[in-house]
Amino acid sequence: MVAETGAVLDMPLLRVERASRVYRMGDVEVAALSGADLAIRRGEFLVILGPSGSGKTTLLNVIGGMDRPTSGRVWYGDMELSAMGAVAQTAYRRDSVGFIFQFYNLVPTLTAYENVQVATELVSSPLDPSEALRLVGLADRAGHFPSQLSGGEQQRVAIARALAKRPELLLADEPTGALDLQTARGVLGLLQELNRSQGLTSVLITHNPAIAGIAKRTVRMVSGRIAEIRENKHVIAAKDVTW
Amino acid sequence: MRALHRKLGRELLGSAGVLLTVIAIIAVGTGCFIGLGSAVRILTLSQQSYYDDYRFADFWISVKKAPLTVVERLRQMDGVAVIEPRIVFDVILDVPDEPQPLTGRLLSTPAERYDQVLNGLCLVRGAAFSDDRDEEVILSEAFAVAHGLNPGDRIGLILNRKRESFIIAGTAISPEYVYMVRGEGDLVPDPKHFGILYVKEHYARDVLDFRDACNQIVGRMTPGADIDVETLLKRMERELDPYGVLATTPRERQASHRFLSDEIAGGRVSSTMIPAIFLSIAALALNVLMSRFAERQRTIIGTLKALGYSDRAVLGHFVGFGVVVGVVGGIAGGGIGIAMAAGMVEMYKGFFQFPTFVYELYPDLLLIGLLISIVFAVAGTAKGVWVVLRLQPAEAMRQKPPERGGASFLERLPWLWRRLGFRTHIALRALVRNRVRTLTGVLSTSLAAGMLLISFVMVDSIWYLVEFQFDRITHSDMDVGMRDESSIDAVWEAQSLPGVDYVEPLLGLPCDLRNGRHTRRLAITGLSPEHRLMTPMRTDFVPIDIPPEGIVMARKLAEILAVDAGDALELVPVRGRREPVRVHVASIVDSFLGLDCYADIGYLSRIVGESAAVNSLQVQVDPVERAALFRAIKNLPNAQGLSVRSDVKANIEGTFVSSMTATFGVIILFAGVIAFGSILNNALVEIGDRIRDISTFRVLGYRPWQVAAIFLRQTLVTYVLGIILAAPISYGLIRLMVQAYDTELFRMPAIITLRSVIVSALLSLLFVLLAQAVVYWQIRKLNWLEGIQVKE
Repeated sequence: MVAETGAVLDMPLLRVERASRVYRMGDVEVAALSGADLAIRRGEFLVILGPSGSGKTTLLNVIGGMDRPTSGRVWYGDMELSAMGAVAQTAYRRDSVGFIFQFYNLVPTLTAYENVQVATELVSSPLDPSEALRLVGLADRAGHFPSQLSGGEQQRVAIARALAKRPELLLADEPTGALDLQTARGVLGLLQELNRSQGLTSVLITHNPAIAGIAKRTVRMVSGRIAEIRENKHVIAAKDVTW
Repeated sequence: MRALHRKLGRELLGSAGVLLTVIAIIAVGTGCFIGLGSAVRILTLSQQSYYDDYRFADFWISVKKAPLTVVERLRQMDGVAVIEPRIVFDVILDVPDEPQPLTGRLLSTPAERYDQVLNGLCLVRGAAFSDDRDEEVILSEAFAVAHGLNPGDRIGLILNRKRESFIIAGTAISPEYVYMVRGEGDLVPDPKHFGILYVKEHYARDVLDFRDACNQIVGRMTPGADIDVETLLKRMERELDPYGVLATTPRERQASHRFLSDEIAGGRVSSTMIPAIFLSIAALALNVLMSRFAERQRTIIGTLKALGYSDRAVLGHFVGFGVVVGVVGGIAGGGIGIAMAAGMVEMYKGFFQFPTFVYELYPDLLLIGLLISIVFAVAGTAKGVWVVLRLQPAEAMRQKPPERGGASFLERLPWLWRRLGFRTHIALRALVRNRVRTLTGVLSTSLAAGMLLISFVMVDSIWYLVEFQFDRITHSDMDVGMRDESSIDAVWEAQSLPGVDYVEPLLGLPCDLRNGRHTRRLAITGLSPEHRLMTPMRTDFVPIDIPPEGIVMARKLAEILAVDAGDALELVPVRGRREPVRVHVASIVDSFLGLDCYADIGYLSRIVGESAAVNSLQVQVDPVERAALFRAIKNLPNAQGLSVRSDVKANIEGTFVSSMTATFGVIILFAGVIAFGSILNNALVEIGDRIRDISTFRVLGYRPWQVAAIFLRQTLVTYVLGIILAAPISYGLIRLMVQAYDTELFRMPAIITLRSVIVSALLSLLFVLLAQAVVYWQIRKLNWLEGIQVKE
């Protein structure tokens, strides 16, 4: 089904062309990304796999408008992200992208509902925060503070926060990195389901090869380069993931 | 942005303790702005309306005796709007139940128009003059209050060699005596020993033998006249020359006006300087607090930016902290300001007399205070947050890179560094790595110590001044002023009065001193060759000899006349043989009150071409027979004033003690707020940074005080640096203060005693240790089991 949706709209949603990102740490230059090429199709579920330090977060940041490549170009549809100023970048993140982070990054002093509100107040036609929480199965936990929620629940709040803006692109940075297997399956299942039911283009990065199989396509990164792009013949259901 | 507002609200409540330290500093700054600003405005407005409503004069001219016809000629001069003749006489007062003779100043005033003349009277109690009798006075209110005198009571005085008894018709105040001092040389009002008696004009003329004549002329200039008051006074002096001009006083040199205006000018400086200091420290402290706060919210800032919040929106959110701190500080400052202004008005009531003088609320000042408070708080906050905010969202979400700059300079001295122990190492490294934080702590400590030191210096300086002027220079127990100059025989007559041990003559000779364009009219004090009751000296306490020829003058007068010891200048007496004489300045002496100038009494007499004369006597008294001497002086026909040295000293000391006690309390409190608040703010921020370290130490088995000792070391180093920095800061501020008080009426010696330095340092240490006590308490109650989990 995913592949069919992708085939209908074959023009890539995102294009990365020879993108590199060099950081300067004191006197040392570190190349986190070196000439990466990638195209992401509309409605696709893509997993980027690689060990830590392989450049996957940097790649995610570059396509999410959180960072700019030092060289190379990045396109979102016909908008060149790599040439955007800070204001346009902010607008892009606000209107088009939903982020999910490994450590959830919820505001500790706000309830689950309010954490979702932080996102919904930004855009013109968001989901209702209650609706977003219902979608992630947390309707009854809306009034709880992050410290009163389990890790899996917190990550689901973060997913609700990302979803509530109705983004076109969902970017998840090690969303299960801090979760146990059982909880991780729930979160991954939710992401799979959202991609399937809403056609939400989703990019998930992970260092865990066990997760790679849940997407149709897997990109493997090594030392800032894209080492391999693999089509998965058999997509694994999240509940069957194991490690 | 309701969700972010809620975040703001909860986080404000969560860090209320540390924010309070900053709010307190802001509140004090804003409070001083509003309090001192209101006090200055009340004084200024009261002064203006009083001067306008009761026609405060622009100039005074004292003459020996001038006919009214010449006053008419003065009235025709360009630039003159109003001119009025009057009669002024100092007399000895005999107040019922008061053994001591007191000094009164008799001032003639038109019976009907007493409130419409220049320096018009504002009746406080009783009534104006009646038609029933001529022996009526309107008494200055402060004097009446000091002696419990009421309208209808009687007061006795010696007038024209006759004892007269007057009925008090009423009491009044006048714009001429807002600050009721006799004139130059007086430091504080002494309503117990000096009073003004307003008498009917025609009565004064008859009794004092001034028919168609006067001895003082007061005037007002035409608004916008194209002549300045000094030039006008010069012209008038020429016109009045035949009648012996004793003194010309433009408003700028009038004692009451001078003291009042100096107070206003001083208040104006304080109402800008003090708030600026406090608010700057508060902004620095907020900067320290908010930069750490933002640093700790790095990932949240990154997330908000990732979600699509713009830099401006995120900055706005954090600036909200500053706005709230500013608003709360501003409102608290408003309360402090109102209380402070009300207190100052009460204090001023003891010094200055106005018809209406009540504290008023100035909404504009409150509003400006609030705005200033917000501006400083927002500036401190925005500066603190900006560093994190500038980061790319991806960068903000990453760990802060380890701080650069490894070894501090002390670490390059291994023999010393090794001896210090690891807790000192932690403290010193923290101080070196957080420079702004350290600087804020050091500055606050030094300002607190400086504020305290300056207050002590002021008190010591006043004590020194009183001792110098009234113990070192003057040795007489009392001085008796005489109306008419007497021959030197007056000394022998006085010697025979009961209780008199020893008498020395003084001659006050009015004259002009000229050195090119620098001129000054004043009374030179003539001393007898064997004088010992008046010993002019320098501050090294070595008495200066009065030469048989030449003059000795106070440093300030030498400055005004641009002369130095050894120089010559022109002296023109205003009476007798009024020929210019070249005199040389034999020595310069020190004096903190008025413009003293001394010469040998015989030398002065030769200059005027008269035989030696006397117009006041310095007396040493046998204390047992004081009462008898007082009775005798009350009956002395020629006496016109008495000043008792112990009274003068006690009055100055009493006045300063009462006003300084209240002020001291406030200054100590404010110094405490700045030192305690800023050190505590630093420490709380530091604790927030080090929760994991503290928890680790606790897990290892360190007791709370052992952990607190690390912070104590840090605080003590800050304190010591602050005290070192306090030295130049205080010195600079004391120099400023000395310059501000360098006037013709009054100078301030800068007396810095070791005791003041030590007490200031110890008090500051106390504030710092109080902050440390809170730190200890915080460490004790820290949940270190949770703290150990905190992510770096």
